[in-house]
Amino acid sequence: MGQVPVEGPEELFHFAPAEAAGAERRTRRAAQPGEKLLITGIAGGQGRLIAQRLGSFFRIAGVDRSRWDGAPAGMPMHVVDLRKRKFEDVFRTERPDALVHLAFVRHFRSDARVRHEVNVLGTKRVLEYAIRYGVKRIVVLSSAYVYGALPDNPYYVDEDYPLNVSRTYPEVRDLAEVDGLATTFLWRHPEVTTAILRPVNTLGYYVHSAIGRYLRQRYVPTILGFNPMLQFIHEEDVAEAVALALQKGVHGVYNVTGPGAVPLKVAIRETGGTAVPLPEALIRPVLSRLFRLGLYHTPSGAMDFLKYPCTIDGSQFGRDSGFSPLFTLEDTFASVRR
Amino acid sequence: MFAAEPRGTLGLGRADAVAQTAREWLPQPIWDLRREIDERMGRIPTQLNSYGYDQWGFHPATAARAIFTTALLYRYWFRVQVHGIERIPPGRVLLISNHAGQIALDAAMIGVATFLDNEPPRIVRGMGEYWLPTVPWVNELMARAGSVVGTRKNCVDLLNNEEAVIAFPEGVRGMNKLIWERYQLQEFGHGFMRLALETGAPIVPIAVVGSEEQAPGIANLRPLARLLRMPAFPITLTFPALGLLGLVPLPVKYNIYFGEPMHFEGNPSDEDEVVGEKVEQVKAEIATMLAQGLARRRSLFW
Repeated sequence: MGQVPVEGPEELFHFAPAEAAGAERRTRRAAQPGEKLLITGIAGGQGRLIAQRLGSFFRIAGVDRSRWDGAPAGMPMHVVDLRKRKFEDVFRTERPDALVHLAFVRHFRSDARVRHEVNVLGTKRVLEYAIRYGVKRIVVLSSAYVYGALPDNPYYVDEDYPLNVSRTYPEVRDLAEVDGLATTFLWRHPEVTTAILRPVNTLGYYVHSAIGRYLRQRYVPTILGFNPMLQFIHEEDVAEAVALALQKGVHGVYNVTGPGAVPLKVAIRETGGTAVPLPEALIRPVLSRLFRLGLYHTPSGAMDFLKYPCTIDGSQFGRDSGFSPLFTLEDTFASVRR
Repeated sequence: MFAAEPRGTLGLGRADAVAQTAREWLPQPIWDLRREIDERMGRIPTQLNSYGYDQWGFHPATAARAIFTTALLYRYWFRVQVHGIERIPPGRVLLISNHAGQIALDAAMIGVATFLDNEPPRIVRGMGEYWLPTVPWVNELMARAGSVVGTRKNCVDLLNNEEAVIAFPEGVRGMNKLIWERYQLQEFGHGFMRLALETGAPIVPIAVVGSEEQAPGIANLRPLARLLRMPAFPITLTFPALGLLGLVPLPVKYNIYFGEPMHFEGNPSDEDEVVGEKVEQVKAEIATMLAQGLARRRSLFW
């Protein structure tokens, strides 16, 4: 595992043997129709889409901190916090065969302690219960952000690349930790078919993603002199990827990419906004102060994603699961156009 | 569905008028060059997505403008003469050259040569230094023109995509040579050879004659370079003595010699001695080509 990060120009072509790279990847026994699937975080936009996509294949049960008013009739829906003791009862009563875990706090509105408890301790509990109650297949929805946006990132980061996000964006280190926990689980419990998916920037009508909120603004601040390539994927393609991971029984850590990449400013134009380039020396200190005072929603570390590429190579998932995105870049941008 | 009229184009009408005026005043050969670049850009073997970008951020429309500026230098300042460019094989290939001249114009000239004087026209993919992506605007221009950060993964991906990748194994050691070290090849890095072995890409050795005198370096202020976080801070005959004007290279005559493709086989993770032997073969070939080129040269300037 783990390719040595290249440090400087003198190691311009640092070489790591190819055979050392690559976690164990293979396709296992596929999920059977009628299996019981538990979705954590089902009331969120992505959770609902996955439930709808898989509703006819699995018997679905959902768990979330908030309720889902339009939930399909007859679907067991548990409104319980991941951090509460009662959460284990969900596993006790539902006895799921399969599990999709996407109950994460990705915003910064609650304090850092709650974020850590839900994301890191929550994931740990979910995985423990999965073992205790005999879950056979798990999909954990991580994201490509765990690699971080760094100037020396290769354009096509593969799954063995280190998770560097905390180097420049420490506020989201819990998400890198979640990914790490799930990867450790994958190695320690080979009897459970586990897929960890790292999709790129997700856009769509239902999903509330930071990038979606950013692109929906009328005037979109960018950083003067920078215009990195960004990859996008439609929310329904993410649901499709989760579905395929379960139905094909893929086992491993996978990047999930959509129809391609465009420069940030093209994405802003195509979603109907106007880019407003601002000098970094001006906005970084202002934003980080506003964030600390609770007057702005995102830490300044996120700005690196507007400067440097965090683009990934999703070809392995395509080969193992047969996934290819159904939505074009045009469709994807149209889904969030103002 | 048709994309909406892009925003920020309000001044376009005026820009067209300016271009029209410029067309009337500029000499015909320059407009022919512009048209030639556009025509050749239509024939490059690069796959683009529906917004006109390739997967590494290359954008032909932007690249055409960059090539146009560079091609003016190529035709009228350095008056570049190419020899044996037809030896570049189609498909994946590593172009390996000597490196000098304080500013990487040798890379730009090789790039223009393979675009203007090779059949079919090809975009040479450069492997940029690690600090370039952190420089405002430069990072964007570099990507749109087809270059990438010089990581191993980027290089392998490009070669596997049948691109022509250029590398300068001398690196900054070569670029910031002082004038009395001209045409003395510095130590070659081994990375390019390991990549050639891994991807099966042939190596085309290149000797650039002329670049090593374009900006005669007389000192390299390393402490100042470290302070500015630049790889080097060269003092040349004209810079900083003549200020920014001192950055203009001397109008030396460029001769670029392309050698026969060299094929290597072996284990890419062999020890340094084994790989080093193969590296020395390439270095020796370039040294020979440089010596022949220098012997043939009548003058520095024509």
